[in-house]
Amino acid sequence: MKKQYLLLIILFLIGSFSYAQDRVIEGQVVSAIDGLPLIGATVVKKGSTSGVTTDLDGKFKLDISKPEILVVSFIGFAEKEVAVNPDTSGEITISLEEDITRLNEVVVSGLATSVKRSNLGNAVATVSSEELTGITNQPTLDNALYGKVTGVNITSSSGAPGGGIAMRLRGVTSITGNNQPLFIIDGVYVSNDEIPSGLRNASGANSGNEENASNRIADLAPSDIENIEILKGPSAAAIYGSRANAGVVIITTKRGKRGETQVNLSQDIGFSTIQRKVGIGQRDWTAALVESEFGAGEVARYTEALNGRGLVDYEEEIYGETGLISETRISANGGSENTKFYVGASLRDEEGIIKHTGYKRASIRANIDHQLNDRIKFTTSSNFINSKTQRGFTGNENEGGLSMGYNMAFTRPWANLYPDEFGNYPDNPNAAGNMLLVRDKAINDEDINRYIQGASVDVNLWETDQSFLKFKWNGGFDTYSLETYVYVPEYHQAQRGLQNGFIAVGKNNIFNTNNQGFLVWDNYLGGGSLQLTSQVGYAYITFSRDLVYNQATQLIPGQTTLGQSGTQELDQTLQNVKEFGYFAQQEFNYEDKLIGTLGIRADKSTLNADQNQFYYFPKASLALNLANFDFWNFELMNQLKLRAAYGETGSSAGFGSLFTSFQAVNIGGSPGISVGGLRGSEDLIPETASEFETGIDMTLFDNKLSLEASYYNRNIYDLILQRALQPSTGFGLEVTNLADLQNQGLELALNASPVQNENFIWSSTTNFWFNRSKITRMDVPPFAPAGSGFGLGLGTAFIEEGEPVTQLKGTKDGEVITVGDAEPDFQMSFFNSMNFFKNFDFSFLIHVKQGGNNLNLTTFLTDLAGLTGDLDDQSGIDRISNPNTERFIEDASYMRLREIALYYRLPKSAVNVFNGTIKTVKIGASGRNLWTVSDYTGYDPEVSTKGGAGLSTGLDVNPYPSTKQVYFHLALEF
Amino acid sequence: MKKFNIKSLTKGLLAFSAILFFSCEFEDQVDPNNPSLQQYNSNATVNELNNLVVGIESGMRNGYVLYVTSTGTIARELYLFNADPRNTEDLLGKNGGQLDNNVFYLNGPYNGSYSNVKNTNILLGALDNTELVSDQEKSGYRGFANTVQALQKLRVLNMLDENGIRIDVADPDDLGPFVSKDVALEHIADLLNTAYTQLGDAGSAFPFDLSSGFDDFNTPATFAQFNRALAARVAIYREEWSSVAGLLDDSFFDPNGDLGVGPKHSFSNASGDQLNGLFKIPGNNGDMIVVHDSIINNAEEGDLRIERKMAERENAASQDGLNGQYETALYPTPTSPIDIIRNEELVLISAEAKLQTENIPGAINDLDIIREAAGLDPYSGAATEAAVTNELLRQRLYSLWAEGHRMVDLRRYGLLNAANLPIDRAGDQVFQQFPVPLTEAD
Repeated sequence: MKKQYLLLIILFLIGSFSYAQDRVIEGQVVSAIDGLPLIGATVVKKGSTSGVTTDLDGKFKLDISKPEILVVSFIGFAEKEVAVNPDTSGEITISLEEDITRLNEVVVSGLATSVKRSNLGNAVATVSSEELTGITNQPTLDNALYGKVTGVNITSSSGAPGGGIAMRLRGVTSITGNNQPLFIIDGVYVSNDEIPSGLRNASGANSGNEENASNRIADLAPSDIENIEILKGPSAAAIYGSRANAGVVIITTKRGKRGETQVNLSQDIGFSTIQRKVGIGQRDWTAALVESEFGAGEVARYTEALNGRGLVDYEEEIYGETGLISETRISANGGSENTKFYVGASLRDEEGIIKHTGYKRASIRANIDHQLNDRIKFTTSSNFINSKTQRGFTGNENEGGLSMGYNMAFTRPWANLYPDEFGNYPDNPNAAGNMLLVRDKAINDEDINRYIQGASVDVNLWETDQSFLKFKWNGGFDTYSLETYVYVPEYHQAQRGLQNGFIAVGKNNIFNTNNQGFLVWDNYLGGGSLQLTSQVGYAYITFSRDLVYNQATQLIPGQTTLGQSGTQELDQTLQNVKEFGYFAQQEFNYEDKLIGTLGIRADKSTLNADQNQFYYFPKASLALNLANFDFWNFELMNQLKLRAAYGETGSSAGFGSLFTSFQAVNIGGSPGISVGGLRGSEDLIPETASEFETGIDMTLFDNKLSLEASYYNRNIYDLILQRALQPSTGFGLEVTNLADLQNQGLELALNASPVQNENFIWSSTTNFWFNRSKITRMDVPPFAPAGSGFGLGLGTAFIEEGEPVTQLKGTKDGEVITVGDAEPDFQMSFFNSMNFFKNFDFSFLIHVKQGGNNLNLTTFLTDLAGLTGDLDDQSGIDRISNPNTERFIEDASYMRLREIALYYRLPKSAVNVFNGTIKTVKIGASGRNLWTVSDYTGYDPEVSTKGGAGLSTGLDVNPYPSTKQVYFHLALEF
Repeated sequence: MKKFNIKSLTKGLLAFSAILFFSCEFEDQVDPNNPSLQQYNSNATVNELNNLVVGIESGMRNGYVLYVTSTGTIARELYLFNADPRNTEDLLGKNGGQLDNNVFYLNGPYNGSYSNVKNTNILLGALDNTELVSDQEKSGYRGFANTVQALQKLRVLNMLDENGIRIDVADPDDLGPFVSKDVALEHIADLLNTAYTQLGDAGSAFPFDLSSGFDDFNTPATFAQFNRALAARVAIYREEWSSVAGLLDDSFFDPNGDLGVGPKHSFSNASGDQLNGLFKIPGNNGDMIVVHDSIINNAEEGDLRIERKMAERENAASQDGLNGQYETALYPTPTSPIDIIRNEELVLISAEAKLQTENIPGAINDLDIIREAAGLDPYSGAATEAAVTNELLRQRLYSLWAEGHRMVDLRRYGLLNAANLPIDRAGDQVFQQFPVPLTEAD
């Protein structure tokens, strides 16, 4: 007799058989909607580990010796209990209803265990592949999540193809450190770094985070993903310890299913255009207006242009392209009883809305599961990605003449930037660079080769009918080489006489590994009424970065390699981090009525001042399923759960914060050393977050309506800040623990399935969430964190006790005042999916962000240049006459139709013309960000010019404009 | 398929886990990218010490450009027109505004000087704790370090003046107090004297090399001449006039020699090296050092220093209501060296000391050396103390234009005020000194 372990994550439910051969009952599990068999559904005897999974026909056989209750479950369907006794004869048919409430879904609760959603003590958001990529084409994984999960806030540092996204779960958790969640894919910690290319050394941007590099989660092909679980805070993520302060995103990719090999082929074609133009230079120009704005000398140039080429809309010229997007995906999955496989490949080719920008990604994945014998199972997950990005030049800069947006802000519509008949580009008379030259001749490319490999081993060590001991190991590595190449020709006007051409070549190698081992013991006591699950384990994580940066200036004309230059600079940065932790967790479940968890993780890290000091991160949770108690007789409500959870996590300081080091200097060719600006902190400890979350989940009307409500209160202690030292010490800064921060918020999710019949199925989700933060302790006077703005006059983040961490300060009549807050008042999303006449699928997602301010410095620049479109209107006149920071502050509220799609599945009769070669054909059309309502006057309210780290939200400085996209889809199943 | 022995497999896995469990003792972390300060605490090698010497020479340039442009703007020698409006607003006291205490034009020179003071203190500390160099060699290192430390502290004091400075900064966790200007000057003079003694004990050659900027000043004996030249500068600041002649005798002072002789800050295109930030692209817009019009207007006819140091712009520079027809031409290329102190200044110091010790003819004699070199006829004005003082300050202005002297000179003679300096815009002010940096306060 064979056992199948189709669903790894519910392995603990499955045990050995009872060999008391009294009676075999046979049955079939089918879907209530279409009556088709459900392959791999789980059938267990209630209160035991004893059970089976259904075969290819949805059938099962089970030995019973006495009357039993069978618990039948399958992902996406409501769990059902069926009473059987040994006298039952013939095959029983069990039909499962589709489960919109997902009560039965299995969710990770520890590093090696999982639990049914209905028994969870936390709010854990899950996004399925259907929700993630089933509606429209998703360029990147992180962007695909926005609006689908409560508690998530996403900003975009660039609208360029290939990413540049910052994701926040439940607000800001760190001021100088990492605010982005930990991403784990099939058990492998994956890098989401933003590695700058060094183009700031030519553009004059203030720091690497102004280079708008892409973030590395963009490498993952969303189409490979089966499911994403989001642990938003310490109460759920404590078991991940010192990497989990900003939450954890656990990604599971698609795996093979037993059965005939199924091949899917799909092709998407899309078109990308700018969401909105802001109207740079679009005033009603007359000679008189030109004279009053720019002086009499400018009028001649204006009239000369009028008599010749006419006025040029450079915004249209630069951002007006239609980008063609093509994505081809092919996948195959299948397998025998022992070996299952999923192989998927995808090729994405996306053009930007600026000529010569774009993104290409080729990804191939192979996931293999092998059952070695009754006790041992292996899995392996391999993913290779090659991506090439042409980022172009956008965002902030200083006198480098490269950022197309920055220079466009100063370029008058009568300036001639077009090349002459010999291909020579004229200098920009109004700014430091000619955007057309930069677009056509300068290069800013990234090239990634990335390999992610995960593996796991499960060993069943010992099992009885009532208990089950398992060893589980998983681990893997994520390695990539990121090559960056920046080239600015020597004839660029800001290069001539100074750098005389610029090349920057980055060779960055990343190698991260992690491995975990666990022992898990399931035990049923009291005749099955009390289930205990214990686990202990260790985790060992390494991160290794080798960043090599080569720069050449004083180029030999026309040459584009490093050696063809007069001056070269080299830089290498090594960053090696090791972390080690233990954990233990105890779960108990009393008849699905009272479910609790206690756990603790101990972590040490080479990032901490005492690298062998363990920091402890405890957790506890309790769920009370009132509806499962015998006294419950309120039939309308089939679930009512009260839950509470507490957990702690940590976050260590960035690499290098511990060291007091010399830096390399040089004079006349001799190398030397000099004290650096940073004084290492000898007693730096991790930031620690503790979160209490409580909530109520209810399901009404026979699973037709469900509500999940959560409140959380997260305190982050010992925030790591950079403190200015007395400069006479010889040092400028010290990184140290100086402040506390509180985040509180509310999250509501309402799922409804109002209509479910043969010809019309409608399900709807409404999410609502908000977060509020407050600095609760500050050991230093209030200050503007370095790099979070451009000084008080232009508005900046400002850390001040008693105030939100996201507040924006500026000046008014010389006084420092609060001018805004980047935190939204609330966010809401409304998702609907409908199926008509079985063959039509229609769905849409609307996302509302209410409140939250942006600092629109794009308008500041065009105002300085006299080129903002509204300068002759009242709004422009008011702005120009106001000397205070408040003139840049704008409400960044919006309502956006994020996704909309209509698909048609060809009827069987039509598909049959292919003689059975093709099983299904689906065609459709969809759109992303097609419609936005907002008073914000910049390109996109979801903006961040300072990249993804720190407090980087809401600063708008000439970004790569955001796009909207229309797609056409064809999907075939063989 | 072969049946696995579960027990042995289990044992293996548990053993594997146990190894990980106990083997994970992390080693002390060292910075993989940079040398650590700690390694200089015991038995530093000659190579390590010499790297620090190069760092100290390199660090002497830190903040120097802003020191020159900021003090020069206050003393109305020049304007710095670039993207930052504070160069023409704050420094000129526009509309009654005050100097900021947390801003680049103060923090740049201040932090730059003190980080190099730190370098010298690290070198001095390392010498106390190493047995790998001889006592004679140690004296050479110490004489070098103390001389540079004195110069760095003098630059800070020149900016903060009556606010005083911290002189005891060796222990970052226990900084000494701010001391008055007089105490600070005495400390700087003592430091130079200590260094001079040490250089005398240093034998005939240093165990380290200096850049080409110190060609002719790279032995204990010749470096000591540089030390005495600085001591002469400090002596006139302290008005210890009688000591000046002796100091000059021990320096490279040579009234009949090349006025350009002296040690220099050198610059190069080498990786990690600095460029001369006082060089500006000729005729450039957007980033320029503009000569204050009064310098041009008040120059004597035929003064060669105008054409040697300044160039007329094709388009007059104008920004923030300020205008200028001339821009700097002091340095022909971005790798041109900057003089630290040169014979020309020593001749002027000699003249000043003579003037103040009632040797007016001697002073005029010295000033005529300067005038002759500038293509001017000998001094023909009154031989009164007041007139010659006026002439001295005038020659100092043109000889040392945009080298960070004018603000100090005017202040020394009580002339750093609106009565004596041109006020370009109504509401502008003349500041006496820079405030104590915000982050320096106790």
